[in-house]
Amino acid sequence: MSQNIIEVQNLTKIYDEGNVLAVDDISFNIKKGEIFALLGPNGAGKTTTISILATLLTSTNGEAYVNNYNVNKEPDKVRKSIGIVFQEPSLDGEMKGWENLELHAILYGMPKKERQAKIKEVLKLVDLDDRADAFVKNYSGGMKRRLEIARGLIHEPTVLFLDEPTLGLDPQTRRKIWEKIKELNKGNSKITILITTHYMEEADQLADRICIMDHGKIIAMDTSENLKKQLSGDVIDIQFENVEENFKIPGLIREIKGINGVKNVSFGTTEGEQNIMPNFQPPPGMPNIDPAMIQARIREILSDPKKLIIAWKRMPMAAGMFLNAPLAMKKKIANMFNDNLLEEVPDNIKKEILKIKKGEFEEEEEHLEPSISISCESGGKQLPLIIQKISENGLKIKTANMHQPTLEDVFLHYVGSTIREESSNHTKDIKKMIQMRQLRK
Amino acid sequence: MSDLNIGKTKVNYSAVWILAKRELMSFWRNKSRVISSITQGILFLFVFGAGFSRVNIVIDGSSIDSRAFTASGIAAMVILFTGIFGGMAVFRDKMFGFMKELMVAPVSRRTLMLGRTVGIALQTMLQVVIMITLGVIFGYFGYDLSLIWRVILILPVAFLASLGIVGIGLTISTRLNDMQSFGLIQTFIVMPMMWVSGALIPLPIQITMFNPFTYSVDLFRFVLVGVSYFPFWLDLIVTSGFGSLLIIIGARSFNKMEISQ
Repeated sequence: MSQNIIEVQNLTKIYDEGNVLAVDDISFNIKKGEIFALLGPNGAGKTTTISILATLLTSTNGEAYVNNYNVNKEPDKVRKSIGIVFQEPSLDGEMKGWENLELHAILYGMPKKERQAKIKEVLKLVDLDDRADAFVKNYSGGMKRRLEIARGLIHEPTVLFLDEPTLGLDPQTRRKIWEKIKELNKGNSKITILITTHYMEEADQLADRICIMDHGKIIAMDTSENLKKQLSGDVIDIQFENVEENFKIPGLIREIKGINGVKNVSFGTTEGEQNIMPNFQPPPGMPNIDPAMIQARIREILSDPKKLIIAWKRMPMAAGMFLNAPLAMKKKIANMFNDNLLEEVPDNIKKEILKIKKGEFEEEEEHLEPSISISCESGGKQLPLIIQKISENGLKIKTANMHQPTLEDVFLHYVGSTIREESSNHTKDIKKMIQMRQLRK
Repeated sequence: MSDLNIGKTKVNYSAVWILAKRELMSFWRNKSRVISSITQGILFLFVFGAGFSRVNIVIDGSSIDSRAFTASGIAAMVILFTGIFGGMAVFRDKMFGFMKELMVAPVSRRTLMLGRTVGIALQTMLQVVIMITLGVIFGYFGYDLSLIWRVILILPVAFLASLGIVGIGLTISTRLNDMQSFGLIQTFIVMPMMWVSGALIPLPIQITMFNPFTYSVDLFRFVLVGVSYFPFWLDLIVTSGFGSLLIIIGARSFNKMEISQ
C-alpha cells in the first residue's frame, strides 16, 4: 500500500439519471512517481473515474484510495493531496492570472508568506510569470491550460490529475504542455500524474503505463511498448512480381508459417467476389434509411438486368457506380446482357459493356500481383529468413515493407469497432436533424 | 452529493473573505455594471421623483416629503436587483467551469455559500450608499447631521435585507440549467416583488403586506425618512425571518448541487 499512491478496487459508478453504467468494476494501482494514462474514446468512463478519485462524485460500489486516504470517507484529506486540471477550463476570466492562483492558495489554507513564494515558483514553471497581471479572459487557450496546471501544483499535491489536458490545443502548444508535464515528473519531487486522454500519441509520449478503457471497463493495461508487442510485434507486407509460379505461393506460405517467431501469414486478396460498394455511405440529406437495407436492395437489382437498366436510366448515381466498379464485378454484369437487352442500356454503359465483352480489359487484370502480409514477433530477425524462403522458391519480390504496429493499431484493435459505431450513430443523428429541419419548412 | 460536504460545520473564514472579495472585485472591475446601476438610479430618481412631487403622500396620518419617499424606496429597490442577480452569478460560475474549482477545494460548501452571500451583501451595501449619495446630490434627501447616522444605520439594514434576496438568487441559480430562464425570473420574481413592494409608488398596505420585500422597503424608509407603514419591529422580524428562511433554502440547494461534467 505504501508504494501505491492510488489504489482502485472494483470501482463501479452508476448514474441514477438514465441508469447509465459509467464505470464497470475496474481495479488498478498507480505507483509513486508514475505517469499513468487512461486512454479511451469519449464516453468510456475516464472522466467519471477521475471525478470519483477527485471526490467530485461518490462511487456506487468499490473502494478507491488516494495517498492512502479513502475517497469516500476522507474527502478533505484526499482533496489536499491532489491537484486537478479539468477537461473544460475552470478559471475565472474576470480575475487576473495571479489572483486566480491566490484564491486557490487561500482555499487550500496556505499561509501568506508561503503562498507568495509558491505562486511565483509555479508561474515560472509554466512560463507565465510575465503575464500574471493580465486578466485570464485575455489569455490564449494554451496559456489558460498552463495556468491551470500551475494552479494544480500550488498546494504541492502528491498526485496531479490531468483530464484531457491538451484537448482543443494546436500541435505546437500541445507539445509544449507535454514538455511541462514531463518536467514535473523529473527530479526529486517526481510528482505522480494521472492523465486521461483520447489522443494516442499523447499517451504514447507521456505515460509510463497506459490503461485502455471502453464502456466503463479496462480492456488492456500495460506499458506502451508491451501493449504494442501484445498486438503483433512487426508487420511485414511483401508484394511479388507477377510470375508464372504463382501456384507456388500457398506452399511458400506454409513454409513461412514454419519459421520460428512468425505468428500469422495472410494471402493478399485478389479482385474476386467483392461487394460493389463496401463502404457505401448515403449522401447527406438522404432519407434516414439503414445502409444495410440499401445494400440489400442493390444486390437485388444487380441480379436482374431489367431492373439494372431501369436504375441506370433513372439514377445517374447508379451509372457512375457501374463505371467505377471493380473489373470482376463489371464482367459479371456484362455477362448478364445479351444483344437484345443491350439495346435498352444507356449509351455510355453500353460502350463499357461492349468493351468488356470484347475483352479489352484483359491486360489490366494481369496487373493484379499476389501479395502476402506476415505478422511476426520481431521483424528484424525473421525478415532475412522469410526472404531466403522466397528466393528458394524462385519467386521475385517487388516491394517489401516492414512497420511496427503503432499504439493507434493497438487502440483500434481493442476499441476500433466501437468508435465506428459511435460515429455512425452520430451521422444518423445529424441526418435526423436535417430531416426535422426540412419538415419544419 | 451532500455526503461529500466535507467538514460540515467548519467554516474557513479566510476563504470566506477571499470569495467575498472576489464578488466585490468583479463588481468594481465591471465598469458597465457600476455605470448602469448609477444611471438606473438617476433615471428612477428623476422619473418617479418628478412624477410624485405634487402628490401628497400620507403615511400613518402624517404627510411626508414625496421626494424622500421615492429616494428611500429606490435605495431599497437596489437590494432587489443586486441581490437576485448577484446570487445568480453562481450560474455564471457553473457555466464557465469555475464552480468545479471551488467544489474540489478542501473547504465546506457552507464556506463557499457564506463567501458568496457576504460578498453580494457587501456589494449591495456599496450600491445603497451610491444611491443615497445620488439622492443627496440631487436634493432628494434633506441634508443635515442626522443623515450621517442614518446612513451608518442603513448599512446593517441593507446587509440584513439583502440576505433573503441573495437566498432567492442562489436557490434559483443552483437549479437553473439554461440561460433562457433569466427572462422568466425577471418577469415572475423581480418585477412583482419590486412593484408590489410600494418602493416606487405609494400603495395601500392591503396589497403590499403579502410581499416580504415590502418590509425591507419599509425598514429603509423608517431609517432614512423616519416614517413607516408598519411598526419598525415588525419590519425587522419579517426581514430577518425571510432572510434566514431563504438562506437556509439556498444553502440546502447549494449542498445538493452537482457539477455535471
